[in-house]
Amino acid sequence: MISIKKITKKYGSDYYALKDVSLDIQSGEFVSLVGQSGTGKTTLVKLIIAEEKPTSGRIIIGGWDITKIESYEIPYLRRQIGVVFQDFKLLPKMTVYENVAFALQTCGAKKRKITDTVPQVLKIVGLDNKMDRYPHQLSGGEQQRVVIARSLVHRPKLLIADEPTGNLDSINTKEIIDLLLKINEIGTTVLLVTHNREVVNNLKKRVITIDNGEIVSDQERGRYLL
Amino acid sequence: MVRSFLIKKEVDIYYNYFFVAMFFIDIYRAFKFAWQSFWRNFWLSIVTITIISLALISVSLLLSFNLITANVLDIVQARTEIYIDLTDQAKTAQIDFLVNELNRVPDIKEVVYVTPDQTLERFKATYQDNELVIQSLESLGTNPFTGSLRIKVQEIDQFPVLLEEISKPEYSEILEIDNAEFYQARDLITSISSYSDKIEGFGFGISIFFILISVIVVFNTIQMGIYSHREEIGIMKLVGASNWFVRAPFLIEGVLYSVVAILIVLILFYPIAALIQPHLDNFLGEYTLDLVQSINQNIWLVLALEIGIAMFITVVSSFLATRRYLKV
Repeated sequence: MISIKKITKKYGSDYYALKDVSLDIQSGEFVSLVGQSGTGKTTLVKLIIAEEKPTSGRIIIGGWDITKIESYEIPYLRRQIGVVFQDFKLLPKMTVYENVAFALQTCGAKKRKITDTVPQVLKIVGLDNKMDRYPHQLSGGEQQRVVIARSLVHRPKLLIADEPTGNLDSINTKEIIDLLLKINEIGTTVLLVTHNREVVNNLKKRVITIDNGEIVSDQERGRYLL
Repeated sequence: MVRSFLIKKEVDIYYNYFFVAMFFIDIYRAFKFAWQSFWRNFWLSIVTITIISLALISVSLLLSFNLITANVLDIVQARTEIYIDLTDQAKTAQIDFLVNELNRVPDIKEVVYVTPDQTLERFKATYQDNELVIQSLESLGTNPFTGSLRIKVQEIDQFPVLLEEISKPEYSEILEIDNAEFYQARDLITSISSYSDKIEGFGFGISIFFILISVIVVFNTIQMGIYSHREEIGIMKLVGASNWFVRAPFLIEGVLYSVVAILIVLILFYPIAALIQPHLDNFLGEYTLDLVQSINQNIWLVLALEIGIAMFITVVSSFLATRRYLKV
């Protein structure tokens, strides 16, 4: 469970990216975090993955207060949180297999674990037949699926997808959202950050709306309000 | 099935286990990465190594200079003998007693009685080229010299102790004290020390300058390495690579520069020493020092100094660069 308590993030002396934000996410939930550009959605993601520290307030993940996290603990938090961004962040000189394996290599995984895990996650995202391709040989949707596969190699408890469909057409968008739902069904909590109205309205899942750094709505089976 | 989060306590245990188990896997990869980076930016690596080598050479020259000055001072000091004339009244028993007494003073290295004949011979030898002096001496028909004491002290700085000892009232009857020789010897030593201090200060300044330049160059080299790997590093951090895993290759790359620079300096040192030696012999004459032999005798000191300085340069600058540009 994620518990965010009265989080404020201030940049400079008077700009509030987030103001007094509080919310709870239960394990296994699929939550959409919506709002227009620049309303503080990505700031909240950065706080959850400890890329930034809040000005005030607390974020507790599984009983672990990550606002007090030590530098050496951050990697171990991130291995439990898969992150998918709009810009795919794939290494162009590595194949699909190598890009996914890289996430395990950098964490010191043994060869055996890599050769077992990588094909499994590539199968989940439906790219087990394109393991030897390079990113430029894939469509946008496929590239995003490689990123999702990479975020799954540590079997994360939480998957945060920050505008994962921002660069995709409607067909690829549907494929990615279906994949996120599939991942949620196998037990992973999913936090989808988006401003895609159609995606949110079709999901019929919990929707949290942020506007000007504040939560303006939190609905169980919500719709895109803004 | 819904998976819940690990709590922090479990992460601590996980961390300890992980750190030990992965250290050896990581270190191989870090070396491989550093090696690739070293060759990928070949010319930048060459410039970095050259600058570190220059810093090490300047430090080595400073060390050699210290050895040379210490050697010259030792020789001058060892050769400094002070003659104190005895009066006409001095009797053999009194002289023997005085010699024994002075030999007991810890700061005095050696006291030898020089007979009037020996003093005459020494005087003649000193002025053998000065006919006027020799003729004047011969015209006297007798030996005008009294006996004297030849004294060597352990350290020239201890001369006031000696002066105090021989100025005791009980010796006033048998000794004619002239401080001039003391002061001449002391002034020579002071003058050498003063010059050596100035040159040492200059050498020290040059070394600090090269060390600072090296720190800046290595810092920039590592920074460029980090810049060219920024995408990879961003992904590493995103997927949970440990801080050590991200930083180590750059630290090792820095150490690699040091090792190559030390090897170059050691290889270059002997030809440089051979090149300098004849000039050193000409300049210092009888006070010269065999550089190679002297460095060989102090090889551990030289190695420790060079390794220490090279590591200081690279570890400090790599650490600063990774700290500045690899914030996790």
